[in-house]
Amino acid sequence: MQEDKRQKIRQALREVKNLPTLPGIVIKLTKMAEDPETTTEQMGKLISKDHILAAKLLKLVNSSFYGFPQRISSLSSAIILLGFNVIKSLIISASIFEFMEDNDIELWEHSLGCAVVCSVLAKRLGVSDPDEVSTAGLIHDIGKVAIKLELGPEYRKIHEMVVGQEFSMLEAEMQTLEVNHAEVGGWLTKTWNLPSKLVEPIAMHHNPGAAKNEKMAAAIVHFADIMIRGMGYGHGDDIWVPPLDNNAWRLLGLAPQDLDEILAQVEEKLWEVKGFSLDIKSGFEA
Amino acid sequence: MQTIPTVMIADGMVLARDVETPDGRVLCGKGTQLSTAMLERLKQMDITHVVVEGHPLQLEGEKSLQDELRDIEKRFSRVTDTPPLMYLMKKIQERVIASRSS
Repeated sequence: MQEDKRQKIRQALREVKNLPTLPGIVIKLTKMAEDPETTTEQMGKLISKDHILAAKLLKLVNSSFYGFPQRISSLSSAIILLGFNVIKSLIISASIFEFMEDNDIELWEHSLGCAVVCSVLAKRLGVSDPDEVSTAGLIHDIGKVAIKLELGPEYRKIHEMVVGQEFSMLEAEMQTLEVNHAEVGGWLTKTWNLPSKLVEPIAMHHNPGAAKNEKMAAAIVHFADIMIRGMGYGHGDDIWVPPLDNNAWRLLGLAPQDLDEILAQVEEKLWEVKGFSLDIKSGFEA
Repeated sequence: MQTIPTVMIADGMVLARDVETPDGRVLCGKGTQLSTAMLERLKQMDITHVVVEGHPLQLEGEKSLQDELRDIEKRFSRVTDTPPLMYLMKKIQERVIASRSS
């Protein structure tokens, strides 16, 4: 019975029209990336053909979630510095970010905030690819957007349960859909062929113990979500800090003193992203 | 630290953050003593808000410290059995309190 419902929802999300399909440019870029002869300049050139997308990408890569000391002014250096997976995720997510900015500013802020905490944690813990972890943080709630866009009646019911009856989002989703936004986010990112480094932390951000290959990244996104909720920087329909997974906490191995320093660093970086918008008309100079 | 509208700048306030133009040039560094004389110039540069030390003004619609602390407690009300998160809550509250004094 339960599997049935999950299948139906999966089907509904697969057939949907409102969700961004993989932009043609991503398919082209993926092909180029597989060809060892391709240079990053060529890939940068292809992206540059879409001026708006190129401007948005540069704005994102120059934001505090990544925090490079110098301004990145060309797409080819962005590809070298951040890696193809990050650039690909950002291209795919650009249209979803736009939707969030216009329709759900709290979720947008929560996502930016989570990316900032991920970046601070990933660098502190010395993980090998901090930028991928930050990107996972940036899109960790993409499943919420998908549910809102694609499953209108169910979304309204979930919203009603959360606002009216103080259910947590997760409980309301499980009761209504029998899947939660994390799982949905996992399906989507997998469909888009993103690597498990991004898929697992997104799919398991509420149960990081289930991560197989990317336990640390999943633990970081899990705790970043909790921390930014606690700080009250953006929120969902529900305001509560979600429960902490003990194993993930142990894996992170943070001492009280670490938390003090992390909070200070996050506050400083949040200041820098305050009012960050992908709207390229507002004060962006190429 | 408090964000205030530029028009409410008063003599003696001290900048807690650099004032920057939209394209990132620093107009006025943090630590600068503000004066009403600077008000016009900042307004001309389309600076609508500045961040000052302490918490000199009670702005309309702004939450009181008590309310802010209570909000934090409410957010953490479902994880009171998790010691690391209770520590995190205490620290977040302490930082909010500290940001209200200079």
